Amino acid sequence: MNAVVEAVRAVEETPWVMPTLDYKLLAPILIILGAGVVSVLFEALLPRAARRPAQLVLVFVSLVAALVSIIALQGSRSLSGRGALVVDGPGLIMQGTIVIIAILGAMLMAERGLDPSGDAFAARASALPGSEDERQFTARGYFQTEIWPFFLFAVGGMLLFPVANDLLMMFVALEVMSLPLYLLTGMARRRRLLSQEAALKYFVLGAFSSAFFLYGAALLYGYTGTISFPGIAAAVSSTTGQTGLLLVAVALLGAGLLFKIGAAPFHQWTPDVYQGAPTPLTGFMAAAVKIAAFGALLRLFYVALGGMRWDWAPMLWVVAILTMLIGSVIALTQSDIKRMIAYSSIAQAGFILVGVVAATPAGLAGALFYLIAYAFTTIGIFAIIMMVRDENGEATHLSKWAGLGRRSPFVATIFAVFMLSLAGIPLTSGFIGKFSVFTAAIAADDTWLVIVAVIASLIAAFFYLRVVVLMFFTEATDETAEVAVPSVFTTVALAAGATVTVLLGIYPQPLLDLIINAGVFVR
Amino acid sequence: MTFVEANTGEAVVFWICAILSVAGAIGLITSRKAVHSALWMALTMINLAVLYIANSAPFLGMVQIIVYTGAVMMLFLFVLMVVGVDASDSLIETIKGQRWAAIFLGLTLTVVLVWGIGSALAGVPAVGLEAANREDGGNVQGIAHLIFTDYLIVFEVTSALLITAAMGAMVLAHREHWQPKPTQAELSQARFLGAGHPGNLPGPGTFARHNAVDTPGLLPDGTPAEVSIPGALKARGDVQPVDIEDVHAIEEADSL
Repeated sequence: MNAVVEAVRAVEETPWVMPTLDYKLLAPILIILGAGVVSVLFEALLPRAARRPAQLVLVFVSLVAALVSIIALQGSRSLSGRGALVVDGPGLIMQGTIVIIAILGAMLMAERGLDPSGDAFAARASALPGSEDERQFTARGYFQTEIWPFFLFAVGGMLLFPVANDLLMMFVALEVMSLPLYLLTGMARRRRLLSQEAALKYFVLGAFSSAFFLYGAALLYGYTGTISFPGIAAAVSSTTGQTGLLLVAVALLGAGLLFKIGAAPFHQWTPDVYQGAPTPLTGFMAAAVKIAAFGALLRLFYVALGGMRWDWAPMLWVVAILTMLIGSVIALTQSDIKRMIAYSSIAQAGFILVGVVAATPAGLAGALFYLIAYAFTTIGIFAIIMMVRDENGEATHLSKWAGLGRRSPFVATIFAVFMLSLAGIPLTSGFIGKFSVFTAAIAADDTWLVIVAVIASLIAAFFYLRVVVLMFFTEATDETAEVAVPSVFTTVALAAGATVTVLLGIYPQPLLDLIINAGVFVR
Repeated sequence: MTFVEANTGEAVVFWICAILSVAGAIGLITSRKAVHSALWMALTMINLAVLYIANSAPFLGMVQIIVYTGAVMMLFLFVLMVVGVDASDSLIETIKGQRWAAIFLGLTLTVVLVWGIGSALAGVPAVGLEAANREDGGNVQGIAHLIFTDYLIVFEVTSALLITAAMGAMVLAHREHWQPKPTQAELSQARFLGAGHPGNLPGPGTFARHNAVDTPGLLPDGTPAEVSIPGALKARGDVQPVDIEDVHAIEEADSL
């Protein structure tokens, strides 16, 4: 009994040191997550008609506020929350890009001018597909405004993911980002069974890959005795002898993160989810999740595991080659534009991995530039896919795109620019992205990897150009889809995507300077 | 290398719980029925909880019992019961050779994990557990200390996850009404206006040979009354046939 009393007294005499939270460093994340909570309250308290305007104001105001607070942090290099988060140049660039992409993505999600019955999301996700309930809810103009809190929480998770500085934070951020996306994937207004199937696949496989990540995290903790990245880096560099446990841990952690970026052989979910999800969400997800997940991957491999590059580089070589080749070759055989873009995104992930594997500041800068260029192009592509429609909604079959250039030359030209950018043709952002990633890889003595990447780019260029040929050098038929006139939301998002794609191709220097001045990760 | 032998009691607990938990896990994936799988999983969870407690982690062990075995598994069983206990997966392969490929890859992963963990941890003593638990005056206090200081942000961010999960369940499962719910008076008016059966439905088994719910009641002429059988049984095809001899006997009695 005395021992217990003494233990209690000893604890009381040494009070806990409460963490000092630097709210300025946490501001972007707190703003978005706080807005998510307010957004839930809006759903609970506001009358139905007032919800959409209130949510839109909240979403855009909070995103702009987060962007301002990120810009205000420019130049910061410090830890936050007892080392759980780290605010540094690359992290801030990724956060900033995610927020801008989120603004554009929110504009696509808010679009109501294209589908005669409303936005791209189901009137009521709980109504069974094809049921009388569904028809009634749609006809009565119900809207599922709960998409906005989900969206905000997903953005909050994405902001946390690339700045997480320990394994636990990274795992929780991964889940906060993914869970709302699983839900939103299943909420498409049209082709709902496809959408629900996609959501289920994404959820089950995502949970599976999270389990791998968690298992890897546990093993890495078992090996190093710490979960913080600097601690892991120190333990890894002082390691001697038996590294079996370490290698298994790295492989499992890698599998969890590579799933999120859609790298082969963990890419199987990508085409189904890209096709099934509501198109504005696909655009947002394709762009923003890729940035967030690559951010986490870069930080894990550069900061925590940078000391054992020669152990993980071969693994990433294999993954990068598989990803580039599988993505490019299978995209050739696709007849649905959304599936084709999905495989293209797999190939693009492979090209970015070529920069990641270099493990140099140049590799980091190249990957960052590539991610930013890719994100803006992708948002634009999905904005156009939303606009190309027939009487059944979006006309995603490639045969419906034949002759689109004759019918709507302006929109088709913008789409062609996006395709050329993804193919990496000069004067577009994609060319500068590929160039900077490939030069970084050559500087890191991975020339053979670059040769494979160039071959994959050539294969990929074939199917990108095929779409251009299909649009411009084929006669329009009765089958050819119409281009619907969007509201100001989609127009702005599309204009932003197109402008950045061209601007970064012609005058990339300011962004390159920004990225190089941002420096490297805080170790 | 110092190798601390576990004392006898600990070894006994380990071997009993380890065998039971692995048996539960194998039962979980081999059972054909979802309810059996869930019960096997509860067995695994409880045994893991005992192992945690034996390894100086009483908080984790208790949470494992309360949250996983208590709440999650029971919720899981509720869902299975409500959705239908007969729902079993079809075991038809949609991709040829998928099962063998999966078994091969699973075994490969098992071998790699056992090799990796086994080679690294063989002969490594468990040190520091006592000290870690003593630092704040106990295991629970120690965890509280970590959650509210070093891992405060992670802990707070988890709430975003819970809000998302709760609202996601609402959005996907909560059925709204697009028209006001009919009152009792409206329902009874609708019944008498011909939309349905005006009174109580005839009960199953009336005038029939058995009085089970799957035996239709018989009308005065001996033919079965379809409305006396619950719709779910009809949908499943679980309705007992009416003996045609009975019908003939009644017809003969009428004709006399």
